[in-house]
Amino acid sequence: MLREYLRREAVFLLSAGIILLFIGFGIARPNLLDSASSAVHAAILDNFSWLYLISAFFFLVFVLALAFSRYGTIKLGRDTDKPQYGFFGWVAMLFATGMGIGLLFWGVSEPLVHFLQPPPFIEAASPDAAAFAMRYAFFHWGIHPWAIYSIVGLAVAYFSFRRGMPGLISSCFYPILGEGIYGPAGKMVDVLAVFATVFGTATSLGFGALQIHSGLTHLYGISSAISVTIGIVVIATALFMASAILGVEKGVQVLSKFNIVLAVALLLAILTLGPAPYILNVFTSALGGYVNNIIDLSLQSYPFAGFEWSRDWTVFYWAWWISWSPFVGLFIARISRGRTIREFVLTVLTIPTLFTLVWFAIFGGSALHLELDRGANLAAVAGEDVSLALFAFLEYYPFAGLLSIAAIFILLVFFVTSADSATVVLGSLTSGGGLAVPVYKKVVWGLSLSTVAIVLLITGGLSSLQAMAILSAFPFMLVMIALCYTLAIGLSQENV
Amino acid sequence: MFEKTLIPVAYGERPEEVKKAGRLLKSLGARSVCLYHVNEPGSFFSGADLSWLTLLSEELEETGLVVEIKTGEGHIASTIAETALLEGVDGIYLKAKRRWHIETMLLGSISQDLLRLADVPVFVHKARPRLSDDGTEPDSSDLRILYATDLDEASARLLPYVMEFQGAWCHVLHIRGRMADPITERARREAVDGELQAVAEELRPYYERVTIEARIGNPASEVLHVSNQIEADIVALGRKSPAFLSAPMGAIAERIVIGSRASIFLVPQPGGRNAS
Repeated sequence: MLREYLRREAVFLLSAGIILLFIGFGIARPNLLDSASSAVHAAILDNFSWLYLISAFFFLVFVLALAFSRYGTIKLGRDTDKPQYGFFGWVAMLFATGMGIGLLFWGVSEPLVHFLQPPPFIEAASPDAAAFAMRYAFFHWGIHPWAIYSIVGLAVAYFSFRRGMPGLISSCFYPILGEGIYGPAGKMVDVLAVFATVFGTATSLGFGALQIHSGLTHLYGISSAISVTIGIVVIATALFMASAILGVEKGVQVLSKFNIVLAVALLLAILTLGPAPYILNVFTSALGGYVNNIIDLSLQSYPFAGFEWSRDWTVFYWAWWISWSPFVGLFIARISRGRTIREFVLTVLTIPTLFTLVWFAIFGGSALHLELDRGANLAAVAGEDVSLALFAFLEYYPFAGLLSIAAIFILLVFFVTSADSATVVLGSLTSGGGLAVPVYKKVVWGLSLSTVAIVLLITGGLSSLQAMAILSAFPFMLVMIALCYTLAIGLSQENV
Repeated sequence: MFEKTLIPVAYGERPEEVKKAGRLLKSLGARSVCLYHVNEPGSFFSGADLSWLTLLSEELEETGLVVEIKTGEGHIASTIAETALLEGVDGIYLKAKRRWHIETMLLGSISQDLLRLADVPVFVHKARPRLSDDGTEPDSSDLRILYATDLDEASARLLPYVMEFQGAWCHVLHIRGRMADPITERARREAVDGELQAVAEELRPYYERVTIEARIGNPASEVLHVSNQIEADIVALGRKSPAFLSAPMGAIAERIVIGSRASIFLVPQPGGRNAS
């Protein structure tokens, strides 16, 4: 009986055990954990930056090739399946998926930091640096993240809805592993997906907590000690754990929808209260620069000058998206049953991307406008503390206090809803792909997410969060390359 | 099957080896042989004395075969393939020879090229079946044949040839990729088993023992593995165009011919020369 339990719960026990070890190690020897993770992180960046760039570009080419090939007409489901959600409902859910802590955290600060600290071949704080900043912000938040999510989403949707397998990443490996997907190799794939999700989500939660703390410090002069950030994580954890344990998912869903409306309202407020024509010009020209240079941007690691810049930004983002891909991929797969591959790819690549680009044009464009035309000192603030840039930026708008409180509220709700969803996804990944996740697993994963975020904040703050995202994404990137192969095998067996 | 066979020969060929090959071909039904020598353009041996070829011919005639001699010039494998077609031979017999390893890696061997280019069946003689030195004619009824089949058109064309070998044991082997899900996989397995049984039934009158096996994996490595496992004398397989993505690795037959200790008997698809 014990043997049966161990076999059935191998993924849960193994992944939870290793994460528990990581947490214990981080608490007992934070400095050692920091230096060990920094060493591995540096080794990965030094040796495999190019692989991240090539892989992300390959994923984009691969999904586009599938969409426009004869396989594009294949349904993610049985041939007779109809889409479970109407087109607009589906698009709205994809739109919501594109929103999160990252947009608020980086929306203002990323263009400003690129503007102030571009690679060495661009003059800092110049108009060229501004154009470069917007182009790279569009690139990092553009079509590539969604291509990365699409790989996992397509593979899981295809193998579970059309081939009748459990909704697990390991199921997609049946063409090469056969019954081995139920053995150690299959379990390892799922454990890697769990790791990526835990560290990817913990990174976002860490960003969220840092920014909420910065906002509170900025507004109310609260102490900037790390203990306050930890306190914020603890409060947010209590909120999402209560939702998970008390089963108030419906309430969380309502809160999530309200939050998205509030975020869009904040976006529109910045657009209307700011220089709208300027912002629209920024959007148009940045979009042109992005589309026109997409291949160069995709494969550019600046080996002769600016390699470190590319490592610190592009590679970090690609790794972060990869670490989020099991989470987002499983979600977009779940809502896309009955869609064709072409519909899936083209919609997933366009709708959330377009919204994200608009967000960056409005927040980033407005911030650059303040910096270049109104003599604001925002870039220096962002250079000092990226989590503070949003609140310093909002100071230049009417009702700054109200907007800042709204931003903190949005961040807090994103924290709760993201952690809540991640807990369910982790529970599902460690329960054979089922949606009925036992409460104890939700508790374990909820606590793990928050504790990992706290450990990373204690050990090295922002840099530790980024390092662990890159570290956990590396093995999953290899899993994703294999997913392309297994998906190709599966599709090649279709009669189209 | 080998009624009229073309044997490519080169300067330095040992007469006793050619004679042994003649005995084997005779046991497989050969009546006449065309000894064919090709010089590469600008070769050191161009225009050299060809009396060695006459000597080989005389040795071979002692086995009871009718022998004719032909020479040509050009890219060796292409010229052999073309001549085989023009002469209307039933097959090409080639004794595999070792090139330097690095040379094989870079250029491929003549037998590899010939397997790719020939439009008639090709028999590449490797370590097995062993040919005796005592002059006795090999007994084809001792042969162990590994018939690698895709159960497709190329393999069906091969079936009559496999029947003609009439050896001691025919092991019918099917290798394929795994299907994408367990249900389709089970259905495919059952279908393959049924088809293999039917092939085995067709072969039973010609062999003392017929066995079947279905495997999942890489065709070239699985064929080599099974061939070694059963100590096959001949691996019989059909040639079809390699898929675009596998083209840089060469066709399955070309990969098998490098690693196999058993001889390779390959039947090309009709009209497939350019496609291959």
